[in-house]
Amino acid sequence: MKSTLRLSGHRHPYLMAAVVFLVLCVVNAILQPSFLKFGVATSNVAAFLPMALVAIGQTYVVLASDIDLSAGAIVSVVNVVVVSIIEGMGGTGASIAAGLTLGIAVGLICGAVNGLCVAYLRFQPIVTTFATGIVFAGFALWVLPEAGRQVPPEFYLAYAGTVLGVPTVLWILLAAIAFAGVIARTRFYQALRATGGNIQAAYQTGVPVARVRLRAYLLSGLFAALAGLALVGETASGDPLIGGALTLASVTAVVLGGTALSGCIGGVAGSILGAFILGLINNVIFFAQLPFAWQGLIQGLIILAALAGGVVMARGRQET
Amino acid sequence: MPILEASGIRKQFGGVVALAGADFSLDAGAVHALIGSNGCGKSTLCKIIAGSVAADAGTIRLDGNPVSFSDPQEAAAAGIGVFYQELSLVRPMTVAENIYLGREPRMRTGLLDRDALRSQAENALEQFRSVIGTGVHPDARVADLSADQSQLIEILKVLAANPRIIILDEATAALDRNQVDAVFHRIRALKADGCAIIFITHRMDEVFEIADRVTVMRNGLTVLSQPIGQTSHDEIVAAMVGDVMPPARRERKHVPAQETALEVEQLSAAKLAGVSFKARRGEILGLGGLHGQGQSALLRALFGALPLKAGSIQVDGKRLAPKGPRTVMRRSIAYVSGDRARHGVMAIRPIFENLVISLLSRERRVVVQTERLERETRPFIERLKLKFSSLQATVAELSGGNQQKVVLARWLATHPSVLLLDDPTKGIDIQTKEDLYSTMDELCSQGVCILLHSSDDEELLGISDRVLVFNGGRIVAELTGEQRNRQALYEAAYATAPAAA
Ligand SMILES: Nc1ncnc2c1ncn2[C@@H]1O[C@H](COP(=O)(O)OP(=O)(O)O)[C@@H](O)[C@H]1O
Ligand SMILES: [Mg+2]
Repeated sequence: MKSTLRLSGHRHPYLMAAVVFLVLCVVNAILQPSFLKFGVATSNVAAFLPMALVAIGQTYVVLASDIDLSAGAIVSVVNVVVVSIIEGMGGTGASIAAGLTLGIAVGLICGAVNGLCVAYLRFQPIVTTFATGIVFAGFALWVLPEAGRQVPPEFYLAYAGTVLGVPTVLWILLAAIAFAGVIARTRFYQALRATGGNIQAAYQTGVPVARVRLRAYLLSGLFAALAGLALVGETASGDPLIGGALTLASVTAVVLGGTALSGCIGGVAGSILGAFILGLINNVIFFAQLPFAWQGLIQGLIILAALAGGVVMARGRQET
Repeated sequence: MPILEASGIRKQFGGVVALAGADFSLDAGAVHALIGSNGCGKSTLCKIIAGSVAADAGTIRLDGNPVSFSDPQEAAAAGIGVFYQELSLVRPMTVAENIYLGREPRMRTGLLDRDALRSQAENALEQFRSVIGTGVHPDARVADLSADQSQLIEILKVLAANPRIIILDEATAALDRNQVDAVFHRIRALKADGCAIIFITHRMDEVFEIADRVTVMRNGLTVLSQPIGQTSHDEIVAAMVGDVMPPARRERKHVPAQETALEVEQLSAAKLAGVSFKARRGEILGLGGLHGQGQSALLRALFGALPLKAGSIQVDGKRLAPKGPRTVMRRSIAYVSGDRARHGVMAIRPIFENLVISLLSRERRVVVQTERLERETRPFIERLKLKFSSLQATVAELSGGNQQKVVLARWLATHPSVLLLDDPTKGIDIQTKEDLYSTMDELCSQGVCILLHSSDDEELLGISDRVLVFNGGRIVAELTGEQRNRQALYEAAYATAPAAA
């Protein structure tokens, strides 16, 4: 079984991301000598975690050849709902439990709305999730018009602390990776990829394509909710605009990680790498004292490059 | 009692009647061949039985009980397995993943057992190991396989579900003789196990070799159903043809000249096995036969889009070496495909850009005057009666028929002396077809030589001056004068293909 090494080819969708990731680590270590210290590394993981979580959820949707442009807005909604519930219920332990549960529920509900519209009512994914994103963002502003409110110290201290000597944020990341690892070995995951690769063929093979697409949006909602919770832990307060930039960032991370926007090819591991790459790029911009606005520019350029790469690869395949 | 019985099945797609009350009955332990010309409704009937298309009317009985499947999953649960003509494979996924999609082996934990998946696929492939060729293993991506290999994988996928009713819709279309033998070997074993098989093919020899019964379809109806021992090649062809009415010949102004415009000798390429013919100036030379017998390949080879293995081509007495479309275009040869989306239009660009692209690619100046280009294309826009709001509107806004006119006008503006038309009227409306026919007539009056491949037999017989019938990459008949009728066409097209070299 020969396997030729092709950059960002189908056999090694993550290779490109891994190389870029390592290069950026070196650049970061040069610009910020403390980069490799455990504490700094952990704080970097904490900073990149929300983006990585949203990117994980986005990956499932993109694998089915759909897209979730409301993911960032779901993060915002969950963030403000959780903070409001915890504060409203007096900041007790019970209120934290209620906040976490309801936060996840809200994320799932948002995902269900997207999934039902796209998979069952057959609305266009881009337009639909763009529109629901606006609705969700509006809802977040209605719940909490401006940043504020407080969660009790137990919450953010636990988030910033350690469990069994390992930082909580690392646990969360590991749990997310383990979860994705399990999902990747289910029949659902094969059905998801088949739906993204050729929806007609999947349907004719008996794959319940609508249910599969709905589940992908539920996963996106779930992971956006987790990102919203992580941001509560990170900032200890609520902000209705906090998820705004995460939609574009998550799509960028997914694409960077080698997942094809046309579906079927790729996976969560690449998206996590992609999210870390974006985070490191932002670090470089910060430490190199470049204007903040460059972040958006660079993300846009990355998406363009990835799309162009996809086109070039498709051409190469046609010619063989 | 038949295991499967479909009666009075009707289905319409928009204005097109695909099935007009078809009946079909399948016995257990039998191979039932279904045959009929392109577009007579075979695939649609299969998809209705398989639950992937809903019928407008009619009933389907399974073991005598009426059933109505709302999706393919239900049909599969009832033991129906379908080989889809257009294949139901997910190309970026691997062979193993495709064969067992939806029924992957799992471990006790419920997670996929990748090792078992691979070894099961390995076992399944073993059945075709001697004929499937190289590069096929459980981890190979389907996208990297050839057409025949993909078809064999689709067969394995159908069989992996252990269906008791198996529908094979042109499952042998891309297979060579050895591969067909291997498939027939499997079919006989399945039959012995009591499976019932619907076998669709265009090859008459396959019907007589494998089938116990044959049903012929024509225009959405089943017109003949006989045990194989009680029918003949001629009876089947006659049933496919129906009443032998000469196709409506349209009025024409052009008269083919005596001068040869194009001479092809012993042309060989993929799907072409030594094709020779002459086409005259002012002649419409039709290329007919079953789908994919070399008609389209010939046109693409002449246009330099398909590499030649052997043979010579002369245009107006001078040798042509088709080293790619650009060299061919310089010799005033133009190619128009009915597959507009792939070969023809830049849908999101303005009509004007689409029209002048062929002129531009011959242009040697760096700066061109758009007014001059517009002047040059104008007469063709008018002749073809192209309907549009503005030349700056995008082609995507046009109807399919008008898009096709844009493609044609683009080429006519280069004043071709040989025009290669590859199923140019596919999916366009009747009015546009008429406009195209009269344009073709007019071009021939001016001495243009047209090679026309059409999947619409009526059209082909009606507007061609002569028809060459292709079968297995060769020309097996030339129909002239009164021979240009369905009977003669089908007899040549459905004859056993001469052994490929
Ligand atoms: N999805 C579809 N949409 C529109 N027309 C269709 C569709 N499927 C089939 N048809 C039309 O129905 C007719 C029968 O097609 P089909 O069943 O594929 O014929 P066959 O398999 O015998 O070649 C053809 O005229 C075809 O163009
Ligand atoms: Mg068919």
